[in-house]
Amino acid sequence: MNKIAIFVAIVALLALPYFGNNYIVRLATVMMMYSVLALSWNFIGGMAGYPSFATAAFFGIGAYVGAILQANGIFFGAAWFAAGLIALIFAAIMGRAILHLRGHYFAIASLVMVEVLREVVNTNDQITGGGMGMNIPILKISVEASGMLFYYSMFVVALLTLATASWVYHSKLGFGFRCIQQNEAAANMLGVDSTKYKTIAFSLSAVFVGMAGAIYASWVNYIEPPDVFDIFLTIKPVVMVLLGGMGTVFGPIIGAVAFLALEEIVWRNFLTIHSAVLGLLIVLLVLFLPKGALFFDYRQFFRGRKK
Amino acid sequence: MLYLQILLNGLLLGGLYALIAVGFSLVWGVLNVINILHGTFIVLGSYIAYFAHLYFGIHPFASVIISGSVLFCLGYVIQAGIINRVIAAPVLMTLTLTFGLDLLLNNAMLIAFTADYRKLILTDSLGSYDLWGLILPLNRVAGVGLAALLTFGLYRLLRDSNIGRAIVAVRMDREAATLMGVRVNRINAVTFALGALMAGAAGSIFSIIYPISPINSGLFLGKAFVICILGGLGSVPGAMIGGIALGVIESYGALFFGPEHSTTLAFVILIALLIFRPTGIMGRKGYE
Amino acid sequence: MKKRALFTLAVSTLFVGLQAVGGSSSVQAAEKTIKFGAPLPLTGALAPEGIKIQRGLNLWMDTANAKGGIKVGNERYKIKIIYQDYQSNTPRAVQTAEKLITDDKVNFLFSPFGSGATKAASGVSEKYGIPTIASTASSEAVYNQGYKYLFGTFTPNITLTQPLTNMVIAKRPETKTVAILARNDFFPLAIANVMKKSAAKRNLKMVFFEKYAIGTMDHSSALVQMKAAKPDWIFATGYLNDLILIRNQMSELGVKVPVLTMVAGPAYKEFIDGTGKLAENITSAAWWHPAVRYNGKGVMGKTENFNKLFKAKYNLVPDYAEASATAAGIIFQLAIETAGTLDHKKVRDALATMDTETFFGPIKFGANGQISSLKPPVFQIRGGKPLVVYPDVIKQIDLKFGIK
Repeated sequence: MNKIAIFVAIVALLALPYFGNNYIVRLATVMMMYSVLALSWNFIGGMAGYPSFATAAFFGIGAYVGAILQANGIFFGAAWFAAGLIALIFAAIMGRAILHLRGHYFAIASLVMVEVLREVVNTNDQITGGGMGMNIPILKISVEASGMLFYYSMFVVALLTLATASWVYHSKLGFGFRCIQQNEAAANMLGVDSTKYKTIAFSLSAVFVGMAGAIYASWVNYIEPPDVFDIFLTIKPVVMVLLGGMGTVFGPIIGAVAFLALEEIVWRNFLTIHSAVLGLLIVLLVLFLPKGALFFDYRQFFRGRKK
Repeated sequence: MLYLQILLNGLLLGGLYALIAVGFSLVWGVLNVINILHGTFIVLGSYIAYFAHLYFGIHPFASVIISGSVLFCLGYVIQAGIINRVIAAPVLMTLTLTFGLDLLLNNAMLIAFTADYRKLILTDSLGSYDLWGLILPLNRVAGVGLAALLTFGLYRLLRDSNIGRAIVAVRMDREAATLMGVRVNRINAVTFALGALMAGAAGSIFSIIYPISPINSGLFLGKAFVICILGGLGSVPGAMIGGIALGVIESYGALFFGPEHSTTLAFVILIALLIFRPTGIMGRKGYE
Repeated sequence: MKKRALFTLAVSTLFVGLQAVGGSSSVQAAEKTIKFGAPLPLTGALAPEGIKIQRGLNLWMDTANAKGGIKVGNERYKIKIIYQDYQSNTPRAVQTAEKLITDDKVNFLFSPFGSGATKAASGVSEKYGIPTIASTASSEAVYNQGYKYLFGTFTPNITLTQPLTNMVIAKRPETKTVAILARNDFFPLAIANVMKKSAAKRNLKMVFFEKYAIGTMDHSSALVQMKAAKPDWIFATGYLNDLILIRNQMSELGVKVPVLTMVAGPAYKEFIDGTGKLAENITSAAWWHPAVRYNGKGVMGKTENFNKLFKAKYNLVPDYAEASATAAGIIFQLAIETAGTLDHKKVRDALATMDTETFFGPIKFGANGQISSLKPPVFQIRGGKPLVVYPDVIKQIDLKFGIK
């Protein structure tokens, strides 16, 4: 039953551009992107329990790598893949440097990474355009085709991330992550190489985000440092995962959908108080539903058993 | 001569920075809570000083008492009513919670005061004093002096008063403190309130130096982070040293690397410290 | 449990769907309307600027509608401006622009605030062929993309810096050196770079050129270095809070120069309020000033009339950002009335061939869409008011030197 549900969902999403207007397609593309961010953060933050604020760093790296490559004539598809790869390598290296920190210190370090990267990009204006931003050439295809291209691209990345999440969750890797989250010292004693696993988790949290960043840059055609190295690109996925259920496979997606719905409604109707509403949502979530509003026992759901 | 002037500027800046960080560091070190609201508290303190000056002609240094008191009460209520419910929760929870609260408070201030920058202009500004070729901006000197006084006051409070020692006890060992009869919940609230008080006081002093707007809250918060890591958590001397160090580093950094890099320099130092010596210059361990 | 998850999912999707439906089929008014999209930063760091633009646009809309609206052929259409807040976030500005076009189906578009966001969003309007007027974009980098549907009401930055430089040298020939401090942001950096060129053209020696990061809270090192270089002229760029801080710190550190120019705060009342006596003798240039005198086609009439209407509505003296927004509206109106149709291409052509005068100044666009006919006034703050020192025809006071 559950596999059928997933299949139906995928088919419906694939067909979306054909029966939805431009607004729906655009919204769905954002939803896919949010899903990627949330699912990716879940690797390091939800499964492994390390509060990373580095999502924005990976997104920004992906966006700029994609933009720079495309500015030099590289085909956009290749640029997007390269962006993901570079983000992954960066995460692996940075991870080595900061993953030995715990709790608050790790959170701060990952946060500061975003700031430093932003300034680095700002300064190297010969390559990145610095404060004046970068333009990504507009693809010479029709508006509808363009909308569909970016929608499907994000969709594919989201699907990849989901598949990876699902695979990891059921594998020894996922088990290792959960062990680390519960008690890292004990996990080490049990033979879980926590350093290696943490680095993998951190890298996983980077690769798809990097791709999404590159696709995003091509989609909006113009990026500047404060916009892609934006702390909200980290905070929002965290809230989404909190909404949907930390450490589960589908939780982040559900959280992403719910969050996006809320965001659209608030943005349209409450012009001046939208950050207050977001703040209120966060406060209520943390106080009353720390495990996620929609937290459900994922394994039960997929075995169709009643609890 | 140039170097000396820059050193002086750095020290003065550092004195102000120390005041930003001291309340933040206390809350972090004792409660293990990263108070994202801290920057917004400072801005609120500035607004209080601004309006006190505008409507009642009160000098911002005098309105330190008003901002301090208002922020103390606000902080106490927020901690006791909201934050304390999740005080035992993992780091991520409290961080996200204070982030959400900050969004709320900041947006409320935006609606109440608008984003327009205000500036408090003193009719009888102290001006500057030329000391053998070194320029001393007297308003800043007075501000730093007051900041030092406040910080020293806090230090004595922590060392000598009953409540201060209870706070330190909780910081050192929460369980043992409970066993000793310390009402930890009350201490939590008082500590947070003290942190807010220092922020409000800082805001008052800053109102004559920086333009005031809710948009600025993030800037203050960013500095507070770096200083805490530089100087070590939960210790007043640590915040002072961290603040002064940052002020001097930024000032010389601007000289040698250009003003566009001075903030990056601070962050790079922060990362380096986190990697190699997370306990900061003072070596006092925060929570793991 | 799983029911709850599915239920929430369904409800969320339903909400979104409702919004989509509700949004597109906006209530059709009984009368004919022309819809203008205005993506603005109404919240966030640029909110003060966004609100200024909104004031300017609303003044145009209300005044024009009171006179019956825009004349298209034999019919009259009311103006409807659809505002959307992009929260000072540039990518969001692009999305908002696209949403206004595809979703709210606006006929025409006003650009978001600033050169950066204008450039970003211009790709969208070009893609859909929607005539767009930018009321706050001056950098040439915005207009060099070969786009046909983008027009701007600000002349290139050099039209601000060159007359200013010429003036300063004319009135004070002993001026030899200049120091530049620029915020590392699209427009402030662009105009600083252009100032470098203007200075070089007149053989001024640049003794200092530094950028400062966005969010800098202390400029003392840069100022102390500048002081040591003993420049005749300091040129500082940034936004309101930066410039207020820089001016205050200059005073604290005893930095005195004959000429101090700041872009782009001094035109605003908030700057003068924020610097008090320190604002005296600061020079600046802008694309418009309430003291200019032009005869006006369009519902605003001549400049004095515009000032009067603005004051009546907002109890404020208008500044150049607000005036530019109103001008953008007037320009659209004139173009539509000339073309006699709402057809995008015809309106676009009417804009490209426009040659007229409004309260804002003479309106003629270059081939790249940027206005080429303005003569931006240079002004100086004297007695707490910005007074025009150039061009001579509207001069209110003579340039004075000396910053304490």
